[in-house]
Amino acid sequence: MLPSAGRPAVRRWLRAAFWIGFVLACGCLLYVADPAGPSCYPPCPVHYLTGLHCPGCGSLRAAHQLLHGHLVAALGLNPLMVLSVPFLAYTCVAGGLRSLGWSALPRRRLPAWMIWSLLGLILAYWVLRNIPVSPLNALAP
Amino acid sequence: MYCRNCGTLNDDNAYRCTRCQEVLQPVAGEQGVPPGFQPEVPNYLVYAILTTIFCCMPFGVVAIVYAAQVNGLLTGGNYAGALHASGKARTWCWVALFCGLVPGLIWLLMVGVFGVFSWHTSLR
Repeated sequence: MLPSAGRPAVRRWLRAAFWIGFVLACGCLLYVADPAGPSCYPPCPVHYLTGLHCPGCGSLRAAHQLLHGHLVAALGLNPLMVLSVPFLAYTCVAGGLRSLGWSALPRRRLPAWMIWSLLGLILAYWVLRNIPVSPLNALAP
Repeated sequence: MYCRNCGTLNDDNAYRCTRCQEVLQPVAGEQGVPPGFQPEVPNYLVYAILTTIFCCMPFGVVAIVYAAQVNGLLTGGNYAGALHASGKARTWCWVALFCGLVPGLIWLLMVGVFGVFSWHTSLR
């Protein structure tokens, strides 16, 4: 065992503690302060400059609703974000555990076609939620 | 960098893996990779999706393109190409994050400055 072998482990735990604290802090802020209406959050630069709803539009408002347990309201604000939460949570938790030395959750390499499909889905979502026609405007926040 | 033996994430300048003590020297070309071994190359897909969905940033979409390339090239056995695409994916994640955060920080700074300024003038 190298003499310096312990140091990266400490740094890894500190990094994990930092990210857990960061996520908790963001969660608390989002739980308390609703991004809908006048609030302390900065405006989205993309929406401010172009007026378009990008694929991320409404994510913070949806996260606020999710934290309060309002799944339907969250789906109404940004359905793609709500659907992506389980995948993101699994990958982050699995990656975090692996970096701390536990490979309890398997690492799965997605086939490339799945990621290309996801790309197509995001681009289609981006276009469709900007069309102000009756069934499609449900996708806009 | 990721350990070739056990997949653990180590510091980029680390000499040995902290978990299995494998030597982490960069491999020249692909000669060092044993046949049949599938090295794991990060595709940064999670960061790409996070920046696309939470930073409101179209640049995250570019990172998703490179993430797809990483997995496609790895499946095809092109390790060097996958590493190259992996680096590109990482770069675009950072670009998306900065373009999403910097305007927001400037906005917060402006609000802070103008808020303090208006409060100060209201005292007169």
